[in-house]
Amino acid sequence: MSEKSKHQAAVPAWKIWANPIVLRYARSRLRITGFGVHLMVVMLIAGFIFFAGRAAGVHQLNFDAVGAARGPIIPLLVLQGIVLFLLGTGQVAGGMTAESDEGVLDYQRLAPMTPLAKVMGYLFGLSIREWALFLATMPFTIVSVVQGEVSIRYFLQLYAVFVMAAILYHLTGLVAGTVMKNKRWAFLASMGMVFLLYTVIPQAAKFGLVYFKYLTIYPVLEEVLPFLIESRVGMVMEGYQQLVPSAKFFGLNLPQYVFTLISQAVLSFAMGLMLWRRWRKNDCHLLGKFSAVAIFAWLQAVLLGNSLPLINQGDVFPSREFDRRFGRFLETAAEGWWPAPTEALVMVGLYGLVTLFCLWAMIVLITPGTDDQMRGWRRARKFGKTRLPPLWDSATSTPWTVMMAAMGVGGWYFFAKSLMESRWYPGLDLTGGTLIAMVLVIFGGGLSMQALLEAKGKKYTGVTVLLVGMVPVMIAVIVGLNSDRLIPAAIWLAGMCPLLWPVYGAYMAIPVDDMPRDFIRAAPNAFWFWQGVVILLSGWLLVKLRESRKAIAEASKE
Amino acid sequence: MSEQAIEIRDLRVDYGDFVAVRDISLSVPCGEVFGLVGPNGAGKTSTFKVLTTLMEPTYGEVSIAGLDIFEQAEEAREVMGYMPDLAPVPSDLKLWEFLDFHANTHRLGNGKERRARVDECLGLVNLLDKSDSWCKELSRGQTQRLVLAKTLLHRPKVLILDEPASGLDPLSRREMRMILQDLARQGSTIIVSSHILSELAEMCSSICVMNQGELLASGSAEEVRSQLGSAERRLTAVVLGDANPVVSWLEGRNGVSGISIDGTRASFNFVGSDEEQGRLLRDLATAKLGLRSFEEGSSSFEEILVKVAEGNRES
Repeated sequence: MSEKSKHQAAVPAWKIWANPIVLRYARSRLRITGFGVHLMVVMLIAGFIFFAGRAAGVHQLNFDAVGAARGPIIPLLVLQGIVLFLLGTGQVAGGMTAESDEGVLDYQRLAPMTPLAKVMGYLFGLSIREWALFLATMPFTIVSVVQGEVSIRYFLQLYAVFVMAAILYHLTGLVAGTVMKNKRWAFLASMGMVFLLYTVIPQAAKFGLVYFKYLTIYPVLEEVLPFLIESRVGMVMEGYQQLVPSAKFFGLNLPQYVFTLISQAVLSFAMGLMLWRRWRKNDCHLLGKFSAVAIFAWLQAVLLGNSLPLINQGDVFPSREFDRRFGRFLETAAEGWWPAPTEALVMVGLYGLVTLFCLWAMIVLITPGTDDQMRGWRRARKFGKTRLPPLWDSATSTPWTVMMAAMGVGGWYFFAKSLMESRWYPGLDLTGGTLIAMVLVIFGGGLSMQALLEAKGKKYTGVTVLLVGMVPVMIAVIVGLNSDRLIPAAIWLAGMCPLLWPVYGAYMAIPVDDMPRDFIRAAPNAFWFWQGVVILLSGWLLVKLRESRKAIAEASKE
Repeated sequence: MSEQAIEIRDLRVDYGDFVAVRDISLSVPCGEVFGLVGPNGAGKTSTFKVLTTLMEPTYGEVSIAGLDIFEQAEEAREVMGYMPDLAPVPSDLKLWEFLDFHANTHRLGNGKERRARVDECLGLVNLLDKSDSWCKELSRGQTQRLVLAKTLLHRPKVLILDEPASGLDPLSRREMRMILQDLARQGSTIIVSSHILSELAEMCSSICVMNQGELLASGSAEEVRSQLGSAERRLTAVVLGDANPVVSWLEGRNGVSGISIDGTRASFNFVGSDEEQGRLLRDLATAKLGLRSFEEGSSSFEEILVKVAEGNRES
C-alpha cells in the first residue's frame, strides 16, 4: 500500500463537525475547566431571565399563561446576542491574531486542507465556546416559544437571520484578525464594530441609507416582534408594525427577513472571499480588482435600491419616522407632515460621504505598494511580458478607481435627482453644477487617495489623511469658536477636509435657504476653491504616480 | 516519485529593493541529507518558506517529489514536512492533542489509528512519557523535539528543517542528529539549514553554502571547502608525553603550517586533500612519538563562514 493511499479522503468544507480545526478548538475551548465556568454564568443568567420573566408576566403584569411564557423570549435574545455577536466576534478576531502572533498559523497554512475548509474551520472553531453557550440557552427560548404558542414561522425567521448575522460578524472578525497585528486591538475593534452596527449605523439608515439596517437583526425583529410578546401588547405593536414598510429593492417587495438574509449572505460571501484569498496566498491583496469593483457596484445598487422606492411615500425621510412616533403628541400630525429641504441636503451629503468611504476602502484593498509593483514587474519580465496584466495585484489600481468613482458619482447623482424631483420638493431643482460638483468630490477624493497610496505607500498616506482630514477641521473649530466674525474663515478652512466635501458638494446641488448665513456666503467659494486645489493636486499626484511607475519598471530590470 | 526530491530553478525572492534570494537553482536527489548553510540573512529561511508554500517567490519554479508546489500546493503539502526555526507550539493544547490535530489535518485514519501514530512519533523523540503534559510546559529542546514529531507524523517523503538544532543543548543536538540520520536511512530526503557548518558536515551527504541570496558552493563537505578556497583545516595530535618531538617531526612537511604546542597537544594547520591528510597522520602514528589520538578542529569549517560573513560586512 502506498503512503498516499493510507490517507483518508479530504473532509469537505461544509462538514463543519469533522473539520480538524473545529475539533482542535472544540478540544481546547470546551475543556470543562474553562468552559464550565462560562456555562454556569450564562445558564444562571438565562435561568434568571426565564423564571423572572414568567413570574413577572403572571404576577405583576397579569398576563395569561401563554402571554407570560413569551416574556423571556426577547431578553434571552439580547443575552444570546451579547454572547454570540459581541463575545464571539471579539474571540474570533483576537484568536486569529493570537495564532498569527504565536507563529502557529504557519502550521495551518501547511495543512493539506482546502482554503475554504480552513476558513470554515476558523470561523466555527474559534467561536465554538460562544456557539455552545448560545445553544445552551436555546432550551429556555424553545420552551418559551412552545408554551407561548409562538408560530414556528416567526421563530425560524428570527433565528435564521440571527445565525446569519452572527456568521457575518464572525467573518468580519476573522478579516480584522487576519489584518491586525495586536490581539487586544483586534478583539476590541471587532466588538466595537458590532456595537456601532447596533447603535450608530441604524441612525444612518434613518437618513436615507436604508441598506445599513439590513446588516443588523432589527428589521426582522421589528417584523416578528408583535408575535413574540404578550398578545395584547403585540396587537398594539402590530398596528405600528403595519406602518413599517417591507423591504423594497427597486421594484421588488420582499419580507424584511428575506432581504436581510440576502444582504448579509452577500456581505458574508465578500468576507469569505477575502479570507479564502489570504489562505490561498498569504501575501495577496484581500480583494482582487474585479471583485472589489463588483462589491462596490453591489453596495451602490443596494443603497439606491433600498432608498429610492421609499421616496414617494416619504418613508425615506428621518422626520417621517419621527412624525409617526411623536407627531400625535406634538400635534404636528394635524398640520400634515412635509420634509424640509435641509433634510434632503443632509441625506444627499451623507450618501456622498458613505460613497466616498466605500471608495476609499476599496482603493486601500486593491492598490499595490511599491514593493508589490517591483515584485510584479520582475515576475512579468520573467514571463516575457512588457506590462503588468491589469488583474494582477501588482498592477495599478487607477483604472479600477476611475470605474468605481464613476459608479459612485452615478449613484450619488441619481439619489439626489430622485429626491429633488420627487413630489416633496416641487419648487426645488438640482443646480446645473451638481454633476460637476459630484464628479470633483468623488473623483478628486478617490484619485488623489489612490495616487498617494500607490506612489508613496500606506504610512505616507496615513499621515497625509490625518493631516488633511483632521487638522483643518480642528483649526476651523478653534477659529470659529474664537469669534463669530471668523466663522466664514472657519468654513473656508473646514472645506479643505475631504470628509466635508460631500456636505459642501450636496449644498452645491441643493442650495437651501434655511442654512446659516455665513455658510451660505462662504461655502460655495470655499468649495470651488478647494476643488480647484484638488484638481491641481490630483493631476500632480497622477503625474508623480506615472513617474514612480516608470521608475519601478526600470528598477525591476536590474 | 521523480529522481530529484527537490528541484529549484531560477528562484528569486525580493522584499522591496532587497533581494533575499537571487536566481538560484539546485536539485536534491531522493534519499539525500542536504545541508543549506550560510550566515544570517543569507536567504536560507526565504528559500525554505518558498519550498514549503508559505511564501510566493518573485519568480522561479519549484517542485517537490515531482509536484509543482505552485500548481499542486495541497498535494505537495501531503508529501513534505516542515520544521520552522524556533518552532512555536500552542499554549492551550497537550502534547498528544497538538499531534492529534495535525494527524487529523493529514487525515491519518480514525481516532485510534491517529493516537497510535501520535504515540509512535512521541516515542521516536523520547516524549511519550510527557504525552499528557501541556505544550507550554516543555523546555526549548523538548519543544523542538515535539515539533519534529509533528513534522514526522504523516511520514513525509521530504523533510525541510530550518535550524532544527537551534537552542538545543549538546545532548539534544546529538539526539536530533541521530533521529535525522535514522530517517535518512529509512529513505526520507532531508533538507536542513544551519549556520553551523561543522554540524551539517557531520550528518549531510551534501552541502550548499548560501550567502547574500546566492549559492556560493555545493557538493560534499570536502568539495565545498575547496570550492570556497579554504582547504586549510586545524589538526591536533595528542601524545602521551612531551609534544616537542611531534613538532620537530611536523616542521617542514608539505601543507603544514602554524604549529603550536600546549603540553601534550601539538596543533597545526594543514592544506591538502583527504588522502594527503590520511597519509600524514598515518606516518605520524608510525613514527613512534607516543601518539595517543588525533582531533580535527571544527573551527576550520566555521572560519569559512566567518570569512563569508566578514566579506558581507566589508561589501
